[in-house]
Amino acid sequence: MEKLPYERPYIKKLTPGVMNKFGSHSGAQPFKYIDGIQVTKLIEAYGSPLFVVSESQIRRNYRSAYRAFSTRYPKVQFAWSYKTNYLNAVCQIFHSEGSWAEVVSGFEYRKALGNGVVGNKIIFNGPSKSKEDLMLAIENDSLIHIDNLEELNLLIALSENLTDKPRVAIRVNMDTGIFPAWDRFGFNYENGEAWNALTKVVSSGKLQLTGLHCHIGTYIQSTSAFGIAATKLADLALRCKTILNQTIEYLDLGGGFPSMNTLKGAYLPGTDTLPSIDDFAEEICNKLINSDFAPNELPLLILESGRALIDDAGYLLGTVLANKRLADGKRATVVDFGVNILFTSFWYDHQISPAQDFLPHTENMAIYGPLCMNIDVIRENINLPLLNPGDHLVVHKVGAYNMTQWMQFITLRPAVVLIDEQRNIHLIKAAETLDYIEENENVPGHLKAK
Amino acid sequence: MKSRFLFFIKTILNSYAILFFSQNSVLGGILLLVSFLNPLAGMSGLCCVMFTAALIKTSGYQREHIQTGIYSFNNLLLGLAFGTFYQFNMYYVIWLIFTALLLLMITVVLAERLGKLGLPILSIPFILCFWILLLSADSLFKIGLVSKSSVVMQEVYGATANLSYLHNYLSFNLPDLLCLFFRSFSAILFQDNIITGACIAIGLLIHSRIAFSLAVLGFLVAHGLNASLNIYPDDISYYHLGANFMLATIAIGSFFTIPSIRSYLWAIACIPVIFILINAFSVILAAYNLPVFSLPFCVISFTLLYFLLLRKDVAHLQLVKLQHYSPERNLYQFINQQNRLNNLQYFRLRLPFMGSWTVSQGYDGNITHINDWGKALDFVIEDEDKKTFKFPGTLPEHFYSFNKPVLSCGDGVVANVVDNVEDNAIGIENLLENWGNTVVIKHIDGLYSKVSHLKKQSIKVKIGDTVKQGELIGLCGNSGRSPEPHLHFQLQITPYIDAKTLSYPFSYYVSRKNEQERMASFTIPKQGDVVNPVAIVNATAKAFDFQPGYTATLVGEPGVNEQLEVFKDEFGQTYFYSITSGATAYFINDGTQFYFTSFYGSHQSLLFLFYLAAYKITFTDNDHVVVHDVFPLHLLNNKPLLWLQDFVSPFFRFINLTYRAVNPPPKSGAIQSTQVKQVFGKQKILMEATISLANDNIQGYCITVNGNHKNIEWVKSNTY
Repeated sequence: MEKLPYERPYIKKLTPGVMNKFGSHSGAQPFKYIDGIQVTKLIEAYGSPLFVVSESQIRRNYRSAYRAFSTRYPKVQFAWSYKTNYLNAVCQIFHSEGSWAEVVSGFEYRKALGNGVVGNKIIFNGPSKSKEDLMLAIENDSLIHIDNLEELNLLIALSENLTDKPRVAIRVNMDTGIFPAWDRFGFNYENGEAWNALTKVVSSGKLQLTGLHCHIGTYIQSTSAFGIAATKLADLALRCKTILNQTIEYLDLGGGFPSMNTLKGAYLPGTDTLPSIDDFAEEICNKLINSDFAPNELPLLILESGRALIDDAGYLLGTVLANKRLADGKRATVVDFGVNILFTSFWYDHQISPAQDFLPHTENMAIYGPLCMNIDVIRENINLPLLNPGDHLVVHKVGAYNMTQWMQFITLRPAVVLIDEQRNIHLIKAAETLDYIEENENVPGHLKAK
Repeated sequence: MKSRFLFFIKTILNSYAILFFSQNSVLGGILLLVSFLNPLAGMSGLCCVMFTAALIKTSGYQREHIQTGIYSFNNLLLGLAFGTFYQFNMYYVIWLIFTALLLLMITVVLAERLGKLGLPILSIPFILCFWILLLSADSLFKIGLVSKSSVVMQEVYGATANLSYLHNYLSFNLPDLLCLFFRSFSAILFQDNIITGACIAIGLLIHSRIAFSLAVLGFLVAHGLNASLNIYPDDISYYHLGANFMLATIAIGSFFTIPSIRSYLWAIACIPVIFILINAFSVILAAYNLPVFSLPFCVISFTLLYFLLLRKDVAHLQLVKLQHYSPERNLYQFINQQNRLNNLQYFRLRLPFMGSWTVSQGYDGNITHINDWGKALDFVIEDEDKKTFKFPGTLPEHFYSFNKPVLSCGDGVVANVVDNVEDNAIGIENLLENWGNTVVIKHIDGLYSKVSHLKKQSIKVKIGDTVKQGELIGLCGNSGRSPEPHLHFQLQITPYIDAKTLSYPFSYYVSRKNEQERMASFTIPKQGDVVNPVAIVNATAKAFDFQPGYTATLVGEPGVNEQLEVFKDEFGQTYFYSITSGATAYFINDGTQFYFTSFYGSHQSLLFLFYLAAYKITFTDNDHVVVHDVFPLHLLNNKPLLWLQDFVSPFFRFINLTYRAVNPPPKSGAIQSTQVKQVFGKQKILMEATISLANDNIQGYCITVNGNHKNIEWVKSNTY
């Protein structure tokens, strides 16, 4: 007879009574393969923790989002939001699908150029653009989205002696019926600030007003907010045409579509409550098509969705370090990945699955990271089977923001691998080393170790 | 004043050149010169032409017709014949003037009447008129004209004194056949002179290689036939009738028809008939002592042309519709336009949806598109796994195509609407209301489009509404005979819902295959094709929107300016006219593409360079879409090579002048175009150009032709 696997002792509250409508078993499922590659093999080869990105999932996401918009609106363009994940390999997947680049700093701008994106397909957003950044963007014929009056004045001054007018748009903020209204970026629609800025752009005669931009927030959970944003931008564009005699070539509705992660404090999982990209597309496109634009004069619709396109293509693999019981009797599991590399665990109740088979008993537990810091909590509460040190875990939907907002704190940042469509594994970012961290450090001579 | 003088000179030269169906000034000049080998005839001919041209100009006939010389060449023949047949005296001048006047009237009247039938006058007015004169001169009551004796005539034909030595030398040293060939040519000017013939032959060769080779062919066949059947003992120079054969082969083989193997065969087939005609006419006319002249040529050309004109369904042996007075140009332009403009006959239809859809059932598909209802298309949206739905696919809402906008494929009026059929559950078909919710739109008489299986109560239009192309008319649904959501599209000739289908292409769409995007024009998508509409860039479309009255100045190097204006002619065709250089370039803008159809005028003009650079522009910024086109061959600058091609062009073309244009990615609003010459597959780039656009306008274009680089600024002078 085969030896049964070891199962550590556990305590479980007995819930007598009839079966409830949620069924008997709603725990985690083992998640052993990513795109057909065994999780344990990946950890063996590249260490733990490890970020894994699925190329086929990215392409699927992109195509389905593009399909959602392009079958409802005649001219659609996606621009990859660099800040969401600017690993070059990831950016290149989006560019190969036809995405432009959306950047918010000189650093990101240069990164996009380095990725071979041609200047006129880079959208330069954000409140911080230096004079040098703007000059570079003008030179490359990029689309500059103006955030504030200082920037507008600077641009007018910079384009004083240019033959080709720089192509600009203004960022518009507005009340879309949601809270918080992001009024810190761009010019306000309701109080007329946006209109004043537009008038100033056109009357300067130095800039070519090509588009209008808004980005109403992040993780927007209602489609109607986007409907309102689309209506207001369309109205502004039509006013530009009739009053300023300036055709608006594109409306950039920004991003902010949610991924299917569950926000902290949400009662039901995100997959059940959040609108899909199709729902957002339906709302936005309907509003634009039914606006007063003639069918052949509809402006290009640009979308800068980041999170919704990449989140579920990223996985974080890790290993259980230890189990302990807290003073109040609750179980806790210590794992080798902390909030320093899984930044989004501050926002989401991440779905976590064991990477191996387990017995059917589950236990409520907290999952702590390896940092010697009280805030390093990955999940405060989660029902997981009984885990033993050395067991592997998979954290789902971590593709967005983690690989850009992660920080080197106490531990080094792990490697990132990409599984391509032919199931080949590529190391797209090697794990950090001590030398890499200390590369730019300089110890004065008298402090050097003898 | 200068332009009037030039017009007059051109008219005179054309009156000569048109004897060989040409407008070539060199040929005209040569004919004018050699006509003076018989000074009296030459002088009379020139005077007649000038007299006619002046008279008709002041009488106010159509300027274009006058310049081609078609009103005056019969008078030229009259003058030549007068000088050849009669001696100079006072009566000569009087009768010449009044006969010319009579002839002019006959010419104008005949040209008008025959022109309505699409037939030419040829030299019929001259023949009629000169017969009248001959009969009158020979009547019992003398009018004072004195015939030249045949001895004198022979001398006159031979050559004037100075050239007689050369003439004798040539006739002695050249092969008999060649002499005969030249003499036959000279007979057209009522001469029998080798020098004249040789000059005409050179002029004809300069005018057209095709016409020249046909003249040789006609001559040889006639000569061969005569030799083998022994019809005329003096060979075909008999009574100067050899010219009939040559003129007939040129006219039938290359002037009235587009030169081709078929036109050559018809030309040859006419030769035996001409023999019969010559003989028959000789017998009849001998009774009245009248010469046959070119009557056989006129009769055969006229008959054959009318015979061909009456055809209803012309597949081969095309007649020349727009006469360029050059067989080569007619041919090259015809081939070019047949390839490029054949699609103008179609009403322009776009795909009735947005984004990428797949043809799930094409024309004569094996499911429901059968028999009378075969020419229909079913569209669905597929994902990368070729699935049409999201998991689990049990409800219409799971299908990608469900609820998607359906657009009007073209401008029109809504002719029929059904909007109340329930959408089916997946897998169920409603055979009672086969078509489900449907919109039928009338585009033009006899062309209706129909979209079916729409969503219940999603239709935005009602009967009688006018719709524009691309307007939202409803949403894709699952009503009628539709087990899963899809869009049914068909064209038909009646407004009824159950009407049978009509095969009809979409004007433009982009098809995607193996990650490659290709623009299809005037094609019908096939089953399995992934297609989406062309995304028009409004800025480019506006830059190329040239309405009549549009004016612009092209600035080349400093001081080299060219004024352009857009006009529309009486056939509704738009063209650029360069006020500075007189060049004209016809173009078409169909909302998706701008393309030139033909160019007339100086190849040095800046407009010509724009014609080359912007030969075809598609209003899209899709980097993947490459525009391909073909130039007519007569644009080739390498004349020796082109002449070689000309000789064999009716049979095959070994030169190709192709055009391609792309939207290069680095700079927005720029179009790059190239012209490539292919000789037996060997490629050489002849022209490279970049057109830059900004602010909905053309800013200018850089063009390199044969290593010659030019930077041209485009200054739009008016706003409208």
